[in-house]
Amino acid sequence: MEYLEGVLTPEVNAALEAHVAACERCTAFVASYRETPRILRTATVVELPADIQQSLRAVLRLRR
Amino acid sequence: MVVPTADSSDETLAARAAAGDDHAFEEIVARYEGRVFRLACRLTSETDAPDVLQNTFLQVYRNLPAFRGESRFATWLYRIATNAALMLRRGRTRKPSESLDAFMPRFDEHGIHADLPAQLLVASRADELLDRQALADKARAGIARLPHVYREAFVLRDLEEMSTTDVAQVLGVEPAAVRQRVHRARLMLRGYLSDLVGVKR
Repeated sequence: MEYLEGVLTPEVNAALEAHVAACERCTAFVASYRETPRILRTATVVELPADIQQSLRAVLRLRR
Repeated sequence: MVVPTADSSDETLAARAAAGDDHAFEEIVARYEGRVFRLACRLTSETDAPDVLQNTFLQVYRNLPAFRGESRFATWLYRIATNAALMLRRGRTRKPSESLDAFMPRFDEHGIHADLPAQLLVASRADELLDRQALADKARAGIARLPHVYREAFVLRDLEEMSTTDVAQVLGVEPAAVRQRVHRARLMLRGYLSDLVGVKR
């Protein structure tokens, strides 16, 4: 976890990096771990529907 | 004199809105309504998001005079929105928690990943393997499956791309706790993504 978060000391990090780079399976695991947030971020982008925007603004006008 | 609002900083707008300037408040709403709605969908559901959105801005309006600028305005507003989402969820049935073990990478007796590179990579190809709508549905379902505390940390840190420090501030926990929750959420979601494209983790 500390390696994946990039919060290790430079020495330990460099040692792990060297291993991961040489190991196909570790490289694959780290790649998919790092890709996961990006995929979910893109997949959960939604636009505010116009009707919801209108009712929000109507409610805010009434209540203040 | 009319002060243009389009290029005013959030903090300037907040001060003007707190002093009773309705145009400044409207500008704040216009700037943040889309982001708050998206956050609300990610933290709750599309059904609950409109309520979260309304409650957020009603509270922002009421609490603006108390905004002192100790944090950035955006962080302050995200805290209100996150709390509005959590309030709505409170009292709903708890979901059974899944064991994290199932999502940890598996190793053989030599300490080598037990899965082949292609299997390990599957999660990162979910967006190539599924069509847009299917991926959006699965992403929502996957995020909803997370334990609540992992979901909140993951949504704020990885989806809204806030700093760990800001997330810690919004959730009222230590940065180390945020990092751990986000890490566990990523492991679980990585597992869900592998599952949904039909390959074991």
